[in-house]
Amino acid sequence: MIELPVAVTFDFLTAWDFWIAVGILAGIYGIFALGLQLNVGYTGVLNFGQAGFMAIGAYAAIIFVVDLGWSYWLALPASALLTIIVGLLIGLPSLRLRADYFAIATIAFSEIVRDVAQNARDLTGGNQGTINLELENDRFFTDPWFSTSDWIQENLLDPIGLSGQEFGDLPLFLVVWVTLGLLALGLHFLVRSPWGRVLRAVREDEDAARALGKNAFSYKLQSLAVAAVLGAISGWFLAFNLESVSQVAFEPLYTFLGFGALVLGGLASFGGVLVGSVLLWTLLEGFRFLDLPLAADKVSALRFIIVGVILILLMAFRPQGIFGKREEMVLGE
Amino acid sequence: MNDAAPIFRAERVVKRFGGIRAVNGATMDVREGSITALIGPNGAGKTTFFNVITGFYKPDGGSATFDGKPTLGHPPYAIARLGMVRTFQITKALAAMPVIDNMMLAAPDQPGESLFGTIFRQPANRSREREVRNQAGELLEMFNLQALADSYAGTLSGGQRKLLELARALMTKPRFLLLDEPMAGINPTLGRRLLEHMERLRTEDGVTFLFVEHDMDVVMNHSDRVIVMAEGRVIAEGEPHEVRSNQAVIDAYLGAGLPAEANGDG
Repeated sequence: MIELPVAVTFDFLTAWDFWIAVGILAGIYGIFALGLQLNVGYTGVLNFGQAGFMAIGAYAAIIFVVDLGWSYWLALPASALLTIIVGLLIGLPSLRLRADYFAIATIAFSEIVRDVAQNARDLTGGNQGTINLELENDRFFTDPWFSTSDWIQENLLDPIGLSGQEFGDLPLFLVVWVTLGLLALGLHFLVRSPWGRVLRAVREDEDAARALGKNAFSYKLQSLAVAAVLGAISGWFLAFNLESVSQVAFEPLYTFLGFGALVLGGLASFGGVLVGSVLLWTLLEGFRFLDLPLAADKVSALRFIIVGVILILLMAFRPQGIFGKREEMVLGE
Repeated sequence: MNDAAPIFRAERVVKRFGGIRAVNGATMDVREGSITALIGPNGAGKTTFFNVITGFYKPDGGSATFDGKPTLGHPPYAIARLGMVRTFQITKALAAMPVIDNMMLAAPDQPGESLFGTIFRQPANRSREREVRNQAGELLEMFNLQALADSYAGTLSGGQRKLLELARALMTKPRFLLLDEPMAGINPTLGRRLLEHMERLRTEDGVTFLFVEHDMDVVMNHSDRVIVMAEGRVIAEGEPHEVRSNQAVIDAYLGAGLPAEANGDG
């Protein structure tokens, strides 16, 4: 037998908690990418600042709960509202820019959010993250969530034999995916409504839409505001998952990964976002288990190379993604 | 027809690009119920004028009223909602949308076009959709496009796109249609059909037309008023035969025997 230099163990594939952890990430970034799909796939707005909206949603919710002592019922809607307001404030000047300049402006926005999160230590806990705030206030953002999670485990999962030991964070997985499913379904109907028809017209040709009496700018702004809320929701779940957040969780890389899921799944399809996100996160997390004769940081860089190559191959052989419509892609140009 | 009131009036409209005055104090009246041709040599400022009065360019001076209401400097969607609707020199079919969606999009008063309405006013939304779908179907039939209703607009031929753009503009129930070179790049048969549609819409629905056209034959035979622009100004206005014999027009535009050519062809 030839000894392969690469030893691969596939044990992880049969471990439930691995799949549940991947599923939680895929779900969280699926919600995140639904917003990108609405912007990019349906409105033609190149939003590269989704990580910024995710950051604002997560930080605002945590600050409201930990610093101000609000309940989730107040903190979560308030953080969503704040994200909408920020989205509108960002969109008002920058959506007047041409698409590519808008993309640059939104990357700048998300980096500004991250810089503020890094440096406004009293507000955000700085580089160590919100755990600082939680220790100071002796109040933990995830406490109410954990009691909900325990309730789900005891009352819904234990009775059917899904124990916490074997299945890990199954309650979070379920809540994330139910939310993702409902949001995707809602958006699916929304883009097929007359409202969505105007969005698609704006995507195709803004001037044609305006000539027919549609306020294209207002629709782009609405699309961005909806995406911002989706970013905020994904931010809450990220905070539940990580227990405390710091600025590294909101690097532009995550927006690009969101675009990766979008391209994999195909433009103008919300189902595609779900499948794309699952594929992307399975690849990214699965490759962690490659047992290579390399340092850990090299392995972690390698998995991005592998995902990149897969995306390149996809672009070469199926540019419309898995669920995208080829006609819409070709005719859209 | 001669004493019809103007439905649209532009006064001393100016549009500058850097140092160039593309539109340099253009003044004109468009009579209600007329088919008015806007002619002039290349670079006379016709398309720029169109873009200014429909809100696509910000004006640098002047005023305009549609149906007595000021419109100059207003955003394009607001002007379109008043019933003053344009088409484009290069057709803007919404390529990756089906023909029927192109049509239905254009209909006004759809409560489902607001985010609130589309979620909370389902019944009103759906009944309006049915109405609009029927109207769209009728118009597509009139323009002989019904077989293409479910095709992507991007798959249509150039001529079919021109027809679609006119049909789509009609979905807005316009009172004043501005067509930028509607006959350009389409075959003569389709062109004739387009002209017939214009004449019928004028007679049956009282739609007023202002159209940019280079084909003198079309201008002389199918319009009842002609406005001539040169160097950003209106240099003549009148009935086709008046304009044809106007010395300023001949100097600026028609020049080397074009009217004679038009006579010969017509």
